[in-house]
Amino acid sequence: MNDHPDSESTAQESSVPIAAPIIEARNIVKRFGGAVAVDDVGIAVPPGEIHGLVGENGAGKSTLMRVLAGILVPDNGSVMVDGVRLEPGSTRAALEAGISLVHQELSLVPEMTVAENILLGSTPTRAGLINTRELKQIAAAALEEIGVSVDLDEPIVRLSVALRQFVEIARAIARNPRVLILDEPTATLTPAETDYLLDMLQRLAERGLAIIYISHRIPEIFRICDRVTVLRDGRLVDTADVAATTPQQVVDNMVGRELKVDLETRREATAPGEVVLSARGVTAKGVNGIDLDVRAGEIVGLGGLVGAGRTEFVRAMIGADIKSAGRVTITVNGREKRLSSYRSAVHNGVAYIPEERRTDGLALTMSVADNIALSNRHELSRFAVLLRGKIAKFARSLADTVGLRPPEIRREAGDFSGGNQQKIVLAKWLGRKPSAIVLDEPTRGVDVGAKVEIHRLIRDLALDGTAVLVVSSDLPELLELSDVIHVVRDGRIVGTLPGDVADEKSVMTLASGGTGLIGA
Amino acid sequence: MAGKPPSAVDTRAQVDSDLGIEKREFRLLEWMADRGIFVFTTALVLVAALFIDGFASLANITDVFNRAAPIGIVAVGMTFVVISANYLDLSVVAQVATAAVVLIAVSNASSIPAAMALAFLIALAYGLVNGVAVGVFKANAVIVTLSTTFIGLGILRWLTGGSIYFGPPEGPIRSFGTTKIGPFPLSMIVLVLITIALSLVLTRTNFGFLVKSYGSNREATRLAGVNTAWVVVGAFILSALGAMLGGFVLAAFSNTAVSAMSTGFDFRALAAIIVGGTSVFGGKGSVMRTLLGVVFVSVLTNIMVLSGLGFGYQQMAIGALIVAAVSVDSLARKAAVT
Ligand SMILES: Nc1ncnc2c1ncn2[C@@H]1O[C@H](COP(=O)(O)OP(=O)(O)OP(=O)(O)O)[C@@H](O)[C@H]1O
Ligand SMILES: [Mg+2]
Repeated sequence: MNDHPDSESTAQESSVPIAAPIIEARNIVKRFGGAVAVDDVGIAVPPGEIHGLVGENGAGKSTLMRVLAGILVPDNGSVMVDGVRLEPGSTRAALEAGISLVHQELSLVPEMTVAENILLGSTPTRAGLINTRELKQIAAAALEEIGVSVDLDEPIVRLSVALRQFVEIARAIARNPRVLILDEPTATLTPAETDYLLDMLQRLAERGLAIIYISHRIPEIFRICDRVTVLRDGRLVDTADVAATTPQQVVDNMVGRELKVDLETRREATAPGEVVLSARGVTAKGVNGIDLDVRAGEIVGLGGLVGAGRTEFVRAMIGADIKSAGRVTITVNGREKRLSSYRSAVHNGVAYIPEERRTDGLALTMSVADNIALSNRHELSRFAVLLRGKIAKFARSLADTVGLRPPEIRREAGDFSGGNQQKIVLAKWLGRKPSAIVLDEPTRGVDVGAKVEIHRLIRDLALDGTAVLVVSSDLPELLELSDVIHVVRDGRIVGTLPGDVADEKSVMTLASGGTGLIGA
Repeated sequence: MAGKPPSAVDTRAQVDSDLGIEKREFRLLEWMADRGIFVFTTALVLVAALFIDGFASLANITDVFNRAAPIGIVAVGMTFVVISANYLDLSVVAQVATAAVVLIAVSNASSIPAAMALAFLIALAYGLVNGVAVGVFKANAVIVTLSTTFIGLGILRWLTGGSIYFGPPEGPIRSFGTTKIGPFPLSMIVLVLITIALSLVLTRTNFGFLVKSYGSNREATRLAGVNTAWVVVGAFILSALGAMLGGFVLAAFSNTAVSAMSTGFDFRALAAIIVGGTSVFGGKGSVMRTLLGVVFVSVLTNIMVLSGLGFGYQQMAIGALIVAAVSVDSLARKAAVT
């Protein structure tokens, strides 16, 4: 189990917390049907500790945390708070004991206001009526605590994804937790916002909270965590002092083998072909006239802060949302066609990977095979009749391409872990050999190994001559993939950086209002 | 191995016994939503055959089938609307009555083919109006179909003045309504054939697949490049065609037609659909199981009639059945989501 005999003794001594743990889970086992998602795992976190939890997609991290928060009933094992055993599967008991969970997937009610969402489920009432004044006071206090200013009466739908994430955290804070669990909170955040969040967590820990922190970004773990627990295939591999281990060792433990990837490799820039996707003067809500060309075989990156209007732009460009002005064309085999609607875009070979996998990307109650068939139905049917055999074969090979785990195409999409759901969204469009592909946050929530695979898939698409447009808040990813990066601010392109010149600093300077190499 | 918390106390046995109930409850719900209808229907028929006087007679079974067929045909068509996550098509009440009146009245005045052709056009109109309002203008299906029911019944009463139409004592309509093969009236055979056909449409065709997918997640379906308005219109047209055939069969059975003859068809059909296990949340369901649901609801009604319970009791039972089935559906869904 432990491949590092020299580290064993140190890990063993240091991993026993000095203070008594607030929360301790023992021998947790959770099965779904026949499959074991969490297999005899224990975790203990004392006050003031930030405890990292890492593992590949489907390792069982979210499942374990849902057991801790009383959402899932474990098949075995118990959760103790201050040494007292919690009633299993009771969210109420968990809340009362002070356990607050920030879910991996946003769980706010879009139509309700910020204040209402923060107090959802614990709404203050007087004589059975909602006490609006108190509601706002508590919500305001929670937001102030995390130092985020947002209008309390604003409905959630009008907020950026990053702000929604902070509202989600404010909601956890409003419950006065003693144990705060965050499941991949930074997946939707830019570096600056991530910095902010990590500092905030450290402040909360100093005040004596026990924090469990899940992330696929190993540097974050090493920056704020005191100890780190690694899960693999539902089993506990190691709990170690962060000071006594290395990022390489953590990653090796995660994948169970040595992962040899040079994370900084940039691909050889190929000679770009003809312009495939061309946008002129695209204007929409949050988008103020953007011109953009993507050539065959080229990977164009869109950088910028969350809320800069990148998602709005790509959606308006391909017609997924309404645009108020602008002309978008696609050129395939020398023939230029105007994209008049989203369907015409899809028909002409545009593939779109949306930012929100659960609301826009997947039919969660349908199988993986059916989700894949949905976007490939013309190839997979004859005379309007579905070819079931062909669908299964097609889906199996795509599941294989993206490395779906477990590789069961008959399972419902909703039963897969977050990162694996993202792989299904990708698989939906990879089988079509698109002439242009637009990817919005393609690797959000995806583990290190799978990320490398997805990057390879994106590069292969470009090598095959697909025009690729990537929106990503993951700056290293953007720098690694893009041949050219356009930085967007306030719905405009404020600068363009060739891929070999761009670095984190130049992109961030532009994104936040400085000047770039070209344009301003 | 390093860092594993010392497992001093083995809480295993204690935990297992604690969780027994909860686990069973969860499984039972899923099982009920999934397979309950097979067992319940079989059990109900067995109980009825053993304990209810007169149930197992040939005449009674034929009667059950005769009453089940029109509602069943309506229900299998409406199943598509439910799977598309548009709740239900209330306007089947108006559609069934209209088709029945048109069949009898127009064939009296002119010919059966002319009557059927007119009824077909009316069904298409219903399907299009409902489908376009819901699919294109994104109006709420319950409100739209409630309104088209009012409009449709209004027109029908205005044109007929509420009078009853009688078919000729001899003729194709009458003989269709009275012919039997064994205990099976022709109408039941029509129901089975339509169920098989629609089941193939749902499970094998592109269209049926899109109805399911739309019901599961309409935005993801739209972003796959699907013309979603067309999917909704298609579902409502199938529902309208089912209601039309249901109206024909109903008229043939009694050889009469009147605008008030289809009262309660909406909720009876809905009861059959959701008791069959099609989810009111959309995205999941089956036409075959609706057929089982129809048998269940019809046998239950028949048992109450044979036991001398009046119409009020029947209505209460159908209402209770819907509430129970919808609750099981919601609970099972919630259990599956967490
Ligand atoms: N509701 C469910 N039904 C069936 N299987 C499930 C369900 N939820 C999770 N699983 C399975 O349990 C395993 C662990 O999933 P979990 O969501 O805990 O992974 P994770 O470590 O959080 O992964 P990720 O990094 O992708 O979020 C996976 O194999 C997943 O498919
Ligand atoms: Mg997870």
